[in-house]
Amino acid sequence: MLPLSSYFSLLYLAILLPGTVLAYTVLPQKYRRAVLLLSSYAVFWLVSGKLLCYLLFSTISVHHIGLWLENTQLEANRLLETAPKETRKDIRARTQQRRKKIVAFGIAVQFGILLALKYGAFFISNFNELADLMKVTVKLPVPSVILPIGISFYTMQAASYMLDVYRENIPADRNLMRLALYMSFFPQLMEGPICRYSETAQQLWDAPPMRWKNLMLGLQRILWGIMKKMVVADRLNLLITEAFDNYVHYDGFMIAAAVVCYTVQLYMDFSGTMDLVLGSGQIFGIKLPENFQRPFFSRTIQEFWRRWHITLGAWFRDYVFYPISLSAPIKKLPLLLQKRLGRTYGFIFSSIPALFCVWLCNGLWHGAGWNFIFFGMYHFALILVENIMEPPAVWLAKRLHINRDGILYRCMQIVRTAVLFCIGELFFRASSLKAGFAMFKKIFTDFTLARVKDNTFFSHGADKHDFLIVVVTLALILAVGCIQERGVSVRQWIEKRNLAVRLSLWYLLILFIVIFGAYGTGYIPVDPIYAGF
Amino acid sequence: MIYLKRTGCVMLFLLGLLVILLAASAIFKPKNNIPSAGMEETLANGILGEPENTIDVLIIGDSESRCAICPMQIWKETGFTTYVCATAAQKLSYSYTMLDRAFQRQKPKIVILETLAIFREMSLEDAVKEILYHRLPVLRYHDRWKCLHANDFGGAVLPVWTNDSKGYWNTKKVDPGSNEPYMGAMDNKSSVSLLNRRYVRAIKTLCEKNGSRLLLLSTPSTINWNYALHNGIQAVAEELGIEYIDMNLMNDRIKIDWSRDTFDKGDHLNHSGAVKLSLVLSEYLQEQGIFKDHRGDQAYAKWEDILKNRGTEPEEE
Repeated sequence: MLPLSSYFSLLYLAILLPGTVLAYTVLPQKYRRAVLLLSSYAVFWLVSGKLLCYLLFSTISVHHIGLWLENTQLEANRLLETAPKETRKDIRARTQQRRKKIVAFGIAVQFGILLALKYGAFFISNFNELADLMKVTVKLPVPSVILPIGISFYTMQAASYMLDVYRENIPADRNLMRLALYMSFFPQLMEGPICRYSETAQQLWDAPPMRWKNLMLGLQRILWGIMKKMVVADRLNLLITEAFDNYVHYDGFMIAAAVVCYTVQLYMDFSGTMDLVLGSGQIFGIKLPENFQRPFFSRTIQEFWRRWHITLGAWFRDYVFYPISLSAPIKKLPLLLQKRLGRTYGFIFSSIPALFCVWLCNGLWHGAGWNFIFFGMYHFALILVENIMEPPAVWLAKRLHINRDGILYRCMQIVRTAVLFCIGELFFRASSLKAGFAMFKKIFTDFTLARVKDNTFFSHGADKHDFLIVVVTLALILAVGCIQERGVSVRQWIEKRNLAVRLSLWYLLILFIVIFGAYGTGYIPVDPIYAGF
Repeated sequence: MIYLKRTGCVMLFLLGLLVILLAASAIFKPKNNIPSAGMEETLANGILGEPENTIDVLIIGDSESRCAICPMQIWKETGFTTYVCATAAQKLSYSYTMLDRAFQRQKPKIVILETLAIFREMSLEDAVKEILYHRLPVLRYHDRWKCLHANDFGGAVLPVWTNDSKGYWNTKKVDPGSNEPYMGAMDNKSSVSLLNRRYVRAIKTLCEKNGSRLLLLSTPSTINWNYALHNGIQAVAEELGIEYIDMNLMNDRIKIDWSRDTFDKGDHLNHSGAVKLSLVLSEYLQEQGIFKDHRGDQAYAKWEDILKNRGTEPEEE
């Protein structure tokens, strides 16, 4: 078997993607969707082998739950047509109750699999530790499970489909193949984005014809993603691994530098992968949802999370935040609190339960570990403090005649947001919560520039040249980001240039990756970070 | 028609890209085979600096062969020239590259492939990458952008460096292993992957094309070798019609003492083990009757000098 470990491997870029493109181009429309589905299952098989059965089970069960929900409603509608007026309310209530149970069952099955596979070991080892503390002689065996690739992503897609059918936002899909394609479309299988059925399923099923323009634009975006991953993310890998694995041997400066590098690496790896994923989709004329919108231009943590991993945030907003906020007990809170705390603070404090649940889920979604839970709680606290501090900050700025939209103030906010995010990433990447706190403490208690002065800082897998090329590449990405922030599309600008300019740009970008990419002897590419979540 | 036109455009684009990469390769390829010129694996690549057509026997493989075969000992015994083009954890795709490179300047009569490399896991992706790296050196040496000189732009490729150990990795350290027998006969057979079998066949074809004979050789290792592996290689040798010698089964002749002849508990041989093995290999090469004793030949004076000045024990690595 040919193992596939990443979208950046030769196997994907030189065989799987071109092979699918070729088959998709030459076959008539009715076979194109089959090509996409077969390629999707081939990619899953190459990454996870027999664990493909989990995806198949999820697809079939979700399809069944969708039909069950719809049939229950149809049956109720039939009954309502003939039922006397006085019993209609009762029928509606019973149907609603039944549908609620069905969707709860469906969600429990999907998340049950995810919990058992992803969090089983975490919960059991914590149970054992607790039993130890309480001097109870119970020791449960900690299972060692291999996760099917992308289980967190496709489970969320499955849940969103069932909930949307339950809410009657979409009709249940009677076509198993279409649902299967929505659940498994190969470019988004490993790291998302988390798609909604209403946005992507029909696009995939339509299998639009191959267009030259889409092919060019898709390839262009793929190259841009490869540059981010291979030139920046992979280049910083050795330094980050060394500093995080052996932090006890390093001073505060080295740790702070590694934290900044990790934040850059995570962004370049994940957004680079998204460029590749969305580019792959674009080749087939499929518009997948964007997952990033230049997050490091954000002025607040809240805004940051609206620009970073957008589809995950939107999922939690629609399926955790709103349902909790609109649930019976929480619904009463705003009115209650507004009376005591005023309109602004009443609203802020009434959102706490839903916000807390969102960030607990967000932390846990990223992994089974206390450091991930801390990461979630850290951002929950930041957003809450931000909300609480906003009114006094506005008042103070007014009194001190500070222009909050001025460039200096904006820059200060952007830097502050980036620093706060970096601190969160320290705990996110640390091997444990304890290690995270020890590293954080070292930044302040053991900060020295000695390693920079004697150049040993540059001997941990990234020398001065490496940093230079990282800075140059980031400057290029920043420049493109600045242009995009002004609403100008760089890709459209390129499209309007003449052939010579466009060809030169293509060749330059390829040569840039070939020469400055961190591959071959002396480099260890970073494993796809979000594929692990 | 539109499809044809666009296919033509893609082809032209790829052709242009190939030209650019070849031009970049000419710049990035090391102009000498020393580390400061950007050469990788200099011990093995010292072969490139040997005078043309002066090597009789070439050895490819991984660290097992690098530690087990001492060319200066063979020279001392026979006057035959050998060079070890072995590298740590060498995959067969890289063995092929090493051999192809060596054949540019050398016409060895025998090429020895140490057999542990035949069991090393290698994916199709590894193989394709190695072919690309070999054909487009900019991919292998791209990191040289950090140290390019004016000479790299248009300068000729002139590898002139070689090493006195002739690719041999010498160490006298002793970390004893067990003398318990590890080659009990059995019928079990370790299988060689299809890709690796194809590579052994390709190496054999390359040897034949260059007038060389391929020999499969298993050097002694209590940790890395056993009878099932022996059977696996025996099957490959029979299938491809290649001679195979397993020195793990010849300890009555070689007399490896694992309490003294290994530096890592039986994984690799140390210098005293390599001397013992090289003596037996020398006898085998003499038995072939195809090599000329170069001792006294002015063209090989350097080999004499090394032996005179440093003996068979070059500097420890």
